[in-house]
Amino acid sequence: MSDAKMITLSDIPAKGGSPLTLAMGVFLAALATAPWWLPAVGLYQYLGIEVAIWLIFALGFNLLFGYIGLHSFGHGAYLGVGAYAFGLFQQEVAVSLWGGLVAAIAASLVAGALVASFISHRRGIYYALMTIAFGQIFWFCAIKLHSITGGEDGLLGIPRPDLNLGPISVSLADNTSLYWFVAVVLGLVALGLWRLANAPLGRVCQAIRQNEMRASFVGYNVWWIKWIAFTASAGIAGLAGGLFAMAQESAYPDVMALHQSGLIVMMVLVGGGLVSFWGPILGVILYFVARDVIGGITETWLLWFGLMFVIMVMVRPEGLAGVIHVIRTRIGMAPAARATHTKEA
Amino acid sequence: MIQLIPHIINGLTLGLLFALIALGFTLIVGVMEVINLAHGAMFALGAYFAMTTIGGGWFAGTEFGTWWLSLPIGVRYAVGVVVGPLLAACAGMVLELCLRPTYGKAPLYGLLLTFGAGLVIEELIRHYWGTGEQSLTVPQSINGAFFMAGLIFSKYKFFAAAFAIVAIFGVWAFLEKTPYGAIIKAGAHDSEMVRALGYDLAKLRLLIFGFGAALAALAGIAMAPIWGLRPHLGIDVIIPAFLIIVIGGVGSFWGAVIAAVLVGLAVGITGAYAPAWSMLSMYLLLIAIVGFRSRGLMGRKSALEN
Repeated sequence: MSDAKMITLSDIPAKGGSPLTLAMGVFLAALATAPWWLPAVGLYQYLGIEVAIWLIFALGFNLLFGYIGLHSFGHGAYLGVGAYAFGLFQQEVAVSLWGGLVAAIAASLVAGALVASFISHRRGIYYALMTIAFGQIFWFCAIKLHSITGGEDGLLGIPRPDLNLGPISVSLADNTSLYWFVAVVLGLVALGLWRLANAPLGRVCQAIRQNEMRASFVGYNVWWIKWIAFTASAGIAGLAGGLFAMAQESAYPDVMALHQSGLIVMMVLVGGGLVSFWGPILGVILYFVARDVIGGITETWLLWFGLMFVIMVMVRPEGLAGVIHVIRTRIGMAPAARATHTKEA
Repeated sequence: MIQLIPHIINGLTLGLLFALIALGFTLIVGVMEVINLAHGAMFALGAYFAMTTIGGGWFAGTEFGTWWLSLPIGVRYAVGVVVGPLLAACAGMVLELCLRPTYGKAPLYGLLLTFGAGLVIEELIRHYWGTGEQSLTVPQSINGAFFMAGLIFSKYKFFAAAFAIVAIFGVWAFLEKTPYGAIIKAGAHDSEMVRALGYDLAKLRLLIFGFGAALAALAGIAMAPIWGLRPHLGIDVIIPAFLIIVIGGVGSFWGAVIAAVLVGLAVGITGAYAPAWSMLSMYLLLIAIVGFRSRGLMGRKSALEN
């Protein structure tokens, strides 16, 4: 369609695949120092864990949403599948951190691969609608398969297993040590996804977003790449889900509902996932800060967040990262985007 | 076998009401190529507006309010059925004004904006009417149950089905038999040409959105006594609505009606055997039908596929 009117990921020149960029440095530094500055600015340790988990989810989601341009509105389902798989592994098989996480990733990879096989030949709104339908099926099963998932209440009392690294064993029962673990996982995921996004596969993904037919004429197997992107992002959602189950010490169907799947889309878009690799990170942080800060003032904080989102889509759908990019261009810090001569209305 | 009859009737009623919701949805998709995820919120909003009108909540405590409550419930219900959709139509038009910056961009932005708007409306409902489940009063004459052939039937379900059939034929007659309908259909076919012929496209879009919201509100008012009123009604109802559109084919009037009745029947009949799983049947129906016919039963090519 007329995406060309707006700046996109491809319009902001990438600096190659080296992860040694300023943004990555700031991000990793913030991640590494969070346990010290979080309480200092009046927040709490658990928020750090929550944000880090959602960041993993959002970064993986943006591989699908921003890079390849496939709009999944049912991605919460894979987070939920991961959470349930982690919980069931702890309760039915063995109390093991690595086992649980592998189970979480494997379960959501299988679920994602299955769904991807059904929908990868579609695009546009039909793709979005099918992802909603599949997401709803998972959500519905989670509520109704009472004997396995515990129904509406979910799985309760999921333990936080110890971290075993060969001879060393660390307890993750307190929030600070769990934060460290989640932060390391997030750092690895961010580095890995950055490499992937700037690798040939990431470029092909962007080519598919710009024009699927052209990409297939050039010789890429579009169906296969769309399948891989969906499955991979479902797998990362599953990893986030496993960590989420551990943080919450429970798994419940709420995270799989359309509402939550819509929220991740909102976070990624508000942050600017369509424009920058870092967009989802801004969006997730904004969401959780809004929840805690506005939520502390008024009960109807979601109303204000929703309004902010609506206004953002109206005036600057490129999100926060787009705003930052425009400011940097104006003051001459960044090269102008190739598409600025057809600036959006 | 005879025990199935009430389930089939339930399913038909549900299907006809779904059709009413889906028609407004498909009208907006057809003319404007916007997936209106706030359509469910309009449905809920219409029902809440009607409830407050019937219960006199707008002017409680005033002299007019006392006089209003002394009127027979039938009159108040009839007024509610008119006022609810009108107010919802106003909300729909406001939404259309907000949507204007997204025209000409990828359909995703319309979908995202209406998702956000739906969230905002849901929160507003929660703020104004509270989070609890409420009910819409209906006149005594269409309430209650009756017996036939040894089976028990709810009177209201028959009323709702008749209400939906009348409304569906009303929409059909409007689209097929009036000059306004001709413009709307032409707009769905080629909006640029309609503009070139001198029709005000902006006004047409505004009216379509209002009309679609009013249809959703009508469906909401008819559905409210069956489902109850709760703030997240919008999210609950938007999913069947778009499933129906996808099954029926985007932009097709009879496709939407047939798909809605199919979905209603599927839910109703599975409800007889496995009540807990009845809502799952519509997703399975979707996957089965769309697996074979990628544009749904009666769909045609649309810009939304890009």
